[in-house]
Amino acid sequence: MRRERENLFYLLEPLLERVERPSRYLNHEWGAVEEQDGPFHVCIMYPDVYDVGLPNLGIAILYDELNRQDGISCERAYLPWIDMAGFMRERSIPLLSLESSSPVASFDLVGFTLAHELVCTNIVEALDLAGITLRADEREEDEPIVIAGGPSAWNCEPVAPMFDAVLLGDGEGAITNMAQCVREAREEGVSRREIWRRLSLLPGVYVPALYDVVVDETSTRWGYCVPKEGSGAPACVTKHCIASLQKTEPVAQRIVPYLTVVQDRLTVEILRGCARGCRFCQAGMTYRPVRERPKEQIVEAVGRGLETSGYDECCLSSLSTTDHSECASILHELYGQLSERGVRISIPSQRLDSYGVEMATSARSSRRAGLTFAPEAGSQRLRDVINKNVTDENMEAAARNAFANGYRRMKLYFMMGLPTETDEDLKGISHMAEHVADIGREVCGKRAKVTVGISVAVFVPKCHTPFQWEGQLPLEETHRRQRVMLHAATDRAVRIAYHDAETSLVEGALSKMGRTGFDLVLAAWRRGCRFDAWTDQFSFERWADAAADIGLDLENIACERFDLDARLPWDHTSPGVSKGFLQREWRRAMEGVTTADCTMTQCTGCGVCPALGVANELAGERA
Amino acid sequence: MSNDAGACRLRVRYVKEGRLAHLGHLEVMGTVLRSVRRAELPFEVSEGFAKRMRIQFSQALPVGASSVAEYYDLLMPVRLDAQEALDRLKAATPTLLAPQEARVLPRRMPALEAWANRALWDVDILGEDVTPDAVRDGIEAALQKGTLEFMRGTKPRTLDLTSTLVSYELEAISGGADDDGGRGVHTRGVHLGLDTRVTERGSLRPAVLINAVLGRAPNRVCRLSQWHEERDGSLTSPMSVG
Ligand code: SF4
Repeated sequence: MRRERENLFYLLEPLLERVERPSRYLNHEWGAVEEQDGPFHVCIMYPDVYDVGLPNLGIAILYDELNRQDGISCERAYLPWIDMAGFMRERSIPLLSLESSSPVASFDLVGFTLAHELVCTNIVEALDLAGITLRADEREEDEPIVIAGGPSAWNCEPVAPMFDAVLLGDGEGAITNMAQCVREAREEGVSRREIWRRLSLLPGVYVPALYDVVVDETSTRWGYCVPKEGSGAPACVTKHCIASLQKTEPVAQRIVPYLTVVQDRLTVEILRGCARGCRFCQAGMTYRPVRERPKEQIVEAVGRGLETSGYDECCLSSLSTTDHSECASILHELYGQLSERGVRISIPSQRLDSYGVEMATSARSSRRAGLTFAPEAGSQRLRDVINKNVTDENMEAAARNAFANGYRRMKLYFMMGLPTETDEDLKGISHMAEHVADIGREVCGKRAKVTVGISVAVFVPKCHTPFQWEGQLPLEETHRRQRVMLHAATDRAVRIAYHDAETSLVEGALSKMGRTGFDLVLAAWRRGCRFDAWTDQFSFERWADAAADIGLDLENIACERFDLDARLPWDHTSPGVSKGFLQREWRRAMEGVTTADCTMTQCTGCGVCPALGVANELAGERA
Repeated sequence: MSNDAGACRLRVRYVKEGRLAHLGHLEVMGTVLRSVRRAELPFEVSEGFAKRMRIQFSQALPVGASSVAEYYDLLMPVRLDAQEALDRLKAATPTLLAPQEARVLPRRMPALEAWANRALWDVDILGEDVTPDAVRDGIEAALQKGTLEFMRGTKPRTLDLTSTLVSYELEAISGGADDDGGRGVHTRGVHLGLDTRVTERGSLRPAVLINAVLGRAPNRVCRLSQWHEERDGSLTSPMSVG
C-alpha cells in the first residue's frame, strides 16, 4: 500500500544523539532543493550510507535534471547505517527521504543506483526498511514504481526481480522520459502491468518482469531471457546513449554536504567513455563512444561550480581524464586562474607515460599523496593479452619523470588471476615495483625515502567484456599466487596490498549467475549480509552459507568458464558493442595481439557507433 | 600580505541552531570555509604547497549543542566594509549557521580560541523526576570533591571543577507547553544556567557535568555567550574588543 506523504523527521531526531555521525541524517545541505511540491514525487536512492553516496555524480545529474521539470520533484535517500537502521526497526520508523523526511514508500517513483555488485543486499535492506514489497511482480498496484540504473546495470539479473524497470546507459533525458511515462500512466489510472508495457517501449529501458528465463542446450546453466509472449518487449534492450556531452549541464553537483564525505570536492565530468579497449574493463566497453566536453565549457564550469559550492578542490573526472585532447591546456588555464584562491585541481587517473606525469604535475596534485599508475599486469606478454597498451619503457619514463618532479611515493595498481597468467607474470609485478623503487633511489638519491605501494586486485570477469567467458581463480589458487608474488618481493621500499579474495569471489559469482542470483542475494540478506562493500561488515561465511541454503557453491559458480558461443544471461541487454567484436577480442587476447584505441587511430569495429547512431566526439586531436 | 596597510581581520558572530546542532566542530568549520568562498570575500591563504584559507575559530562547540555566540576571525588582505561582508556571508551560509554580526578588527590580535575563555550556557534537563534540588545536590557534591571524573571515549579523564565552573543557576520548568503536537515531549524539568571558564588544564562541557552528576544526558545545551576574562576578572566581549 502507498504510504502517506508526511514529514517524519521528528521520529528520527531523538535518535540523532545516539548514532554515529548524525549529520548523515540532517539534510538541508547547501544546494539541496528544499521545495518539493511535486505533484509527482521521485526519490533517488544510493544504497549505501550518505557519506559514500553523496559524491555520486550520477545521482547529482538526475537530481538536477528532474528538479528542473515542471510538476516533478526529486529527493534523495541513503541507507541508514546499522545503528540507525536498528533503532528505526525497533520503533517501526520507515526509511525516509532526505529533503522532506517523507517515507520512501510514499513516492511515485523510487530509483536505485546500481553502483557495483556488492550493493545488492543493501537494496533488499532499503526496500525492507521502506516497507516496499521486494518483488516487482508482487507489488500492489499503488506501491511506488521502483527503477534502477548505473554502472552495474549490466547483468542486473541478480537484482532484477526487485525492479519494475532498469535503465541501461546514459541517464540524461531518459530519467525524465521514465518519470513522465509513469506520471501520465498514473494520471490515467492504468495498471502496473500497463506501466511496465509503456516503460518497455522507451529507449534503454528494460522491464525484467516482461521476460522469461529459458535454460536450454544453447545456454549456460543460468539460461537467457526472452520476452514473454504478447508482452511487446524488445528481444534485446540497447542502451540509451546521448550523442554529445556538450549539451548537458557540466555543473550537475550542487549539494555541499556538512559531513566529510569520501570525495569532498567539486566534480566536473570532462569526458565520457574510454576507447583504450582494456579487455577486462566493463566501463571501457559499456560507456562508448568517447564524448569530450570542449575546453571552454570545462573552464567555465569549474569556475562557476567552485563559486556556487565554495569547494577548494575540483576533480576533473572521467574514465581516462588525461586522454582528453585538451587536458594539458585545461589544467594550465585552471591553475593560472585558481591557485591564488588556494584551489586544487585533481585528476583521478594518470596515463602511464611521461605525458601523464606532466599533467599530474600541472594539476599540482599533492606530492605527498604520490602518483598512481595502473600497469595492471607484470609482463609485456600479459599486458598484450589484456590490451593494456603500455610498455616497460612507458613505465620507466613515467617513474623517472615523477621522481624528478619531486614525488617520492608511487602507487601501482595490478590485477591477478587474469586469463593466461603464469607465475612468471606475478613475479613480474614484484620486479616491476622493485625496478620503480630503484629508479626512485637513482633519481632522488639513496637517502631519499622512496616508497612504491602496489595494490593487487583479483580479476573478476565482467559481462559485456571480451573476458566475459572466463572463469575466476579458485580461492586456494588465488592465495597461492599471492604468496608467489610476495616471495618475489624483497625490496623494503615495496609494499604489497591485496584485495580480499573472498569478496571478489562473491562479486564474481554475482557477475555470472543471471536471475537465479536473486535467490542468493535474498538468502544472503536473510543471513544478515548488508554493507558487503565494507570490509568490516563483509562476511564470507554468511555468503557461503547463503549459497548452500539454495544448493549452490560460490566457487563453483564464479570459476566456471562459458562456451564462446553459448547464450549468456545478459544477452538481452546491449551496450551497443557487438558480441562478435567481443569474441574477436577474446581470440586476439589469446594470441597476444593488441587492438588500438579508435580515438587515436581508426575505427576498430566495436559496433557502438553504427548500432547507436553516434560517433566519438573529440574536442581536438588526441596525442 | 599580512603587513599590507589594508590587511585586517573580520570577526564574525554566528549561530548554530536547530538540527544543525548535531554537527561536529570539523563540519561547522568546513561549512564556514565554504561560505566564505561562496561569499567571495577576500582572504589570505597560508604559505607553502597546500594553500589554506587563514581563519581562526573560537572554542569547539560539542556535537549536539546549539549556540547563539560562535565566532570566527577571517584574515583578509584588504579591508572590506563589515556590513557588506556580513550581507554577503549571510547570503552564502545555511540559515541555521547564519552570521549575525561582523566587525573589522586589526590584523594582529590574539587567537580567538585561547582568548575567549569564559562562556555562559543554557541547559535543559527534562523529566518528571528532575528537580532543582536534585541537580543542586549533585553539583554541590561534585564541587565539594573539587574534581570531575569522566570518560572521554574509552579514556578516563579528570577535570578541576573549582576553576572551570564559575557559577550556576537553577530554575524549575513546569509543564504548560501544549505545543508538542501530541508527541509526548516532557515539559517538566530543570533549567540550568552555567558560567564556565577555560583553563590550561581543560574546559567544562555542560553535558559532561550533567552526565557526571545525574548519570544522563541533558536535553538541550546552548552556548549563550563567550567572553574574555581579563586579569582583574572583568569580562570583554569578542565584539567590543579593540
Ligand atoms: S564503433 Fe568504431 S569508432 Fe565507434 S567506439 Fe567502436 S571502435 Fe570506436
